[in-house]
Amino acid sequence: MTAPTIPATKLENSGVGHGYTTLGLDNRKVAIWTFIGSECMLFMSLISTYLIYKGKSPQGPYPHSAFTDATGHVFKPILNIPVTSFSTFVLLMSSLAMVLALAAVQERYKVRVGTWDKILSSSKLWLWMTCLLGITFLGCQAYEFTSFIHEGLTIRTNLFGSTFFTLTGFHGAHVTAGVIWLFTLLAIDYKRGLTPADATAVDISALYWHFVDVVWIVIFTLIYLIE
Amino acid sequence: MATSVAAHHHVGAAAQYQEENGIWSWLTTVDHKRIGKLYLVSALIFFIVGGLEAAVLRTQLIGPNGKLVSAEMFNQLFTMHGTTMIFLAVMPMSAAFFNFLIPLQIGARDVAFPRLNAFSYWIYLFGGLLITAPIFFGMAPNGGWFGYAPLSTRAFSPQHNMDFWVLGLQILGISSLAAAFNFITTIINLRAPGMTLMRMPIFTWMSFVVQFLVALAFPVITVALIFLQFDRFFGTRFYDIAKGADPLLWQHLFWVFGHPEVYILILPAFGLVSEVLPTFSRKPLFGYPVMVYSGILIGFLGFGVWAHHMFSVGMGPIADAIFSLTTMLIAIPTGVKIFNWLATMWGGNLRFTVAMKFAIALVALFTCGGISGVMHSSPPADLQQTDTYFVVAHFHYVLFGGSIMGLFAGIYYYFPKITGRFMSEKWGNWHFWLSVIGMNLTFFPMHLSGLYGMPRRIYTYDVGQGWELFNKMSTIGTYIIMLGTLIGGINLIRSWRSGKIASSNPWGAATLEWAMPSPPPEYNFAEIPLVKSRYPLWNMKEGQTLVHETTSEEEGGIRIPSAKELHITLPNPTIWPLYCAAGIVWMFCGMLFMETSTATALGVMMSGAAVWIGSLYKWLTTPLEDAH
Amino acid sequence: MVGMFRPRRFASVALLGALALGLAACSTVYPNTTFGHNSDYNASIDALWDKLLFLGTIVFVGVEVALIYVIFRYRRRPDSPQPKPVHGSTTLEIAWTIIPALVLIVVAIPTVKTIFRTQAKAPADALQVEAIGHQWWWEFRYPQYNIVTANELYLPIGRTVSFQLKTVDVLHSFWIPAMGGKRDLVTNRINYMWFTPDDSLPSMAVNGACAEFCGTSHANMRFRTYLVKLAEFEMWRKNQETEPAFTGVVPPPPPAAPAPVKGAKVAAKPDSAAAAVAPVVADRPPVWMFPADQIEAKFGYTIPKTPIPGDSVGTGALNGFDDALLANGDATRGKNSAGVCLACHQFSTKIMPGFSPLAPNLAHIASRHTIGAGLYPNDARHLARWIKNSGHMKPGSKMYPIGKGQMDVNTGKVSTMGMYTDAQIADIVAYLQVLK
Repeated sequence: MTAPTIPATKLENSGVGHGYTTLGLDNRKVAIWTFIGSECMLFMSLISTYLIYKGKSPQGPYPHSAFTDATGHVFKPILNIPVTSFSTFVLLMSSLAMVLALAAVQERYKVRVGTWDKILSSSKLWLWMTCLLGITFLGCQAYEFTSFIHEGLTIRTNLFGSTFFTLTGFHGAHVTAGVIWLFTLLAIDYKRGLTPADATAVDISALYWHFVDVVWIVIFTLIYLIE
Repeated sequence: MATSVAAHHHVGAAAQYQEENGIWSWLTTVDHKRIGKLYLVSALIFFIVGGLEAAVLRTQLIGPNGKLVSAEMFNQLFTMHGTTMIFLAVMPMSAAFFNFLIPLQIGARDVAFPRLNAFSYWIYLFGGLLITAPIFFGMAPNGGWFGYAPLSTRAFSPQHNMDFWVLGLQILGISSLAAAFNFITTIINLRAPGMTLMRMPIFTWMSFVVQFLVALAFPVITVALIFLQFDRFFGTRFYDIAKGADPLLWQHLFWVFGHPEVYILILPAFGLVSEVLPTFSRKPLFGYPVMVYSGILIGFLGFGVWAHHMFSVGMGPIADAIFSLTTMLIAIPTGVKIFNWLATMWGGNLRFTVAMKFAIALVALFTCGGISGVMHSSPPADLQQTDTYFVVAHFHYVLFGGSIMGLFAGIYYYFPKITGRFMSEKWGNWHFWLSVIGMNLTFFPMHLSGLYGMPRRIYTYDVGQGWELFNKMSTIGTYIIMLGTLIGGINLIRSWRSGKIASSNPWGAATLEWAMPSPPPEYNFAEIPLVKSRYPLWNMKEGQTLVHETTSEEEGGIRIPSAKELHITLPNPTIWPLYCAAGIVWMFCGMLFMETSTATALGVMMSGAAVWIGSLYKWLTTPLEDAH
Repeated sequence: MVGMFRPRRFASVALLGALALGLAACSTVYPNTTFGHNSDYNASIDALWDKLLFLGTIVFVGVEVALIYVIFRYRRRPDSPQPKPVHGSTTLEIAWTIIPALVLIVVAIPTVKTIFRTQAKAPADALQVEAIGHQWWWEFRYPQYNIVTANELYLPIGRTVSFQLKTVDVLHSFWIPAMGGKRDLVTNRINYMWFTPDDSLPSMAVNGACAEFCGTSHANMRFRTYLVKLAEFEMWRKNQETEPAFTGVVPPPPPAAPAPVKGAKVAAKPDSAAAAVAPVVADRPPVWMFPADQIEAKFGYTIPKTPIPGDSVGTGALNGFDDALLANGDATRGKNSAGVCLACHQFSTKIMPGFSPLAPNLAHIASRHTIGAGLYPNDARHLARWIKNSGHMKPGSKMYPIGKGQMDVNTGKVSTMGMYTDAQIADIVAYLQVLK
């Protein structure tokens, strides 16, 4: 190989080759963190809007208090805390499953041989578990949305309806995207098996999944628990 | 100009590269330098469009009771002038430099995600066309570039005009966000060994700050736009005043984005000028660390001053006072930059190329805009000045006197690197002087017409209000700017075709990008360099001379090997990012049919989504580069 | 090389030209100047502005002089030595961080003081005025006197006026440049602003405008403010609080004021309510409005000179009007035809609580100098064309054409509501012109 001539000034060759990164991290990992930072602002804006408009609707239904409309119809406080507490728990558990899925892909437990280790080392099992828990969460949200609509609260009803459905809907859309992402990983797993070489791909989906989970904790606290 | 010699060299240079130049190669390119060129050309075309819109606006206002365009058309034109200049001209022109320069300045082969980079460009182009095309049918957005609710809601804006704006800006947001993730990753993770953060060229630093601003500010306007879109198409109540909505929600969300946006527009120009001034002063940038920190500080404080755009909405004295003080605070790091530029030139060896002149013009004119900015950081004064021509004068001194002058400096300075040819200094001088004179003649009188009571955004005014002379001056100034821009445009085209051949480091600059041939080969660096100082091309040891400015004759005859010969693997060109962008834009267009027919709308959206997802699948399943 | 210098020479000529133009600008009159000390509010803003301008000019001149010095002093010459590679100076950089900070403190202190002074609560005995923004005109209410009027504001000199600013539709901004800063009208919110017209002022007229972009005719959302002596204000408001005198054959009851409102107001304002119930012409206070001759002589800029679009005179053309018919206009016939106006306009001067009409109040239209939110002078010629097809006279106007066969500019179709011939419109004009 002939060394190229750099006309103006000869710079020293650093000797690094293809695939070199400054931090030694995969680019995707750096990118997902910047993406998550950006997503924080998205959810901050959505949550702030909800809080700014909290209690500003001239008409119900309301999240935490009853409302009687002009025809005398009484709307109950609309939020269903028990169901949402359950779905929150489900989403938290899905994060646990995600942690195990990543560990399995990284082959953390492969050296050991017990049954428990075998279970722990199955990336398919934990990816499936994460997906199913995510889908359960989405099911709870679908149930919540339909029951609200039956009770007379739609995205068009009032400021509460608009802000509530948009905020939780955006979160739900993020969970959906996460589930689709995990299914693509599963597909790869079935096709050729995920190896430690794929750890970064799983790692970034895990980071995303945990982020979506954390956002839900914030939403659950601010919208459901605090009156 | 020694034409024969230059031409001879050019032939030689062209033979060395053998770059593909067909249309397909441009549609499928993932090379950051080519994408940079695409950005530059597109942004310049949109700059001309925005300028022509301004020319119509100014002609309408040349005298009282103007009759050139209708009120409705005027409103569309000023909305589009602002939107075009901000989102379609200045930001992409900065993006052109991000693309072209960042990998070269940090010693990288390309950006972190070359195909995402191509996607950013194509979606910007399609989004820009979507938002611009309606002006030719009299259907352009007409609610101002700030789109204040409730005027922008369906109740007060029932036509499609604002739909284009709502959808177009979201699309442009996707472009900027994707680019921001890409560049942040690139700067963090693809710096050559030895290129520590505090050795990075100042332009890369300012771009770095800008990418963070984009990543953190654009989600906020995206949310504001989503609310507006939902209101307009799905009947939500975010800005429905009949349902108790608060119009200030829009303003807060908009300006939480809008003020950082100001720095998104100006910091790249600051970065470029901070490259140009040291080179033509033959002195290192004065106070490099302070320049870096002040840039970071400006970006950081930029998120805490948004409500100074809202002093007149009645936030109460406490909020007014707080936002006034934070705004004044931001003047300090900005002032430091001005003084450091002066100190950079002080004691230097100034060479007044056109690039240097534009850079100095930024220092001179931005100072004026900065001072008028401090004037309306004081709320009582602002209450007289806001929404008048005084403010128009202020931000044009900042954006034309600042951003545009800085970007033009960048174009003249980096043109040899981008194309391998010089721009003509003779034509460039005409371009420069006409721009500066026209700019001052246009915008200085606006300070006065504003202080003498002329509101903004009016398509007509009555006789005898004391504004005639100022408006005449402004309009004549606009024509002078147009003439200057025309000359600049001709200069650019002529020079691109047949300018004087440039060497690798024709200005004797200090940073890595000048270590490569002009234009750089597709792989940039044959070997990733080891960086040992902030000014790797300057010998800074006491008593020794700086590197001399090379000529193409001196460098003549050097053969530049191809990537293949060097065994460098480069990303393969691919069409999928373009299709992906087209699918998304097509999907957004489906929204426009919601009013007339839900079925059509769904059909368009589904087909767009199909194209998007299909090409995304192909994109993700095609390897970036050939296995090696 | 010589070619390079030519544009610079051109630049210096241009600079001189600009200076000459600037000097010429100094001799012009600026009726809407923000520098007049016409009110305490404007005086405090102007005092602040003087500080800002002074300090700003010093900084500006300082930077530009330094820049010019550097440009000439350090120009590259063939014999210039290599410059010293100075990387920075902590002392200098600290200095030019601290000095601007000090300058800003000098600005910040009076700023904060002025903010709190000008946004304090208005004195309780101030004249209350509600300014309500509409697309694209102004409704003004004087709740203390139960008066509604539109687009023309009368303020007594020396008495503090306290504005309540509201809007029924989009955002607007209330601005009288000569009297002080602007304040936005924000939907679902009420904003406040107050000032005291300076004691020393003569009776005068100034312009106001909407300063927040509000749609098609934002530019045409203007208003007039008449600053008048206390005695004049009393004459004006006494006339305004009395229902307009109509000397025609049919003595009308006030058309649009519903009974409960009048009843409610009896306790508060017995005299005006009585006048409203029985408008006896003989007992009417004298009509007073800002004298037209004074306006023409001294405040000519407040009389709009907007040309009539198309300026056609024939009867058939869009918005054309046969001006000869105006002489034959009959107020009594006009009053009968004016029933159509009631759909949107109010002919009573009284405030209807909780209700803001769709269109400007017409009770005392003849006592105003302008129509169309300060767009046209209030004379028969303009009134007739306005009534016939206001959309043609003012872009976006929400008033449908009254003239027969007229095209509604907003829809592009011939208006089904337009039913009056030019002669009938002339009658309506005659009627409106007696409503003083």
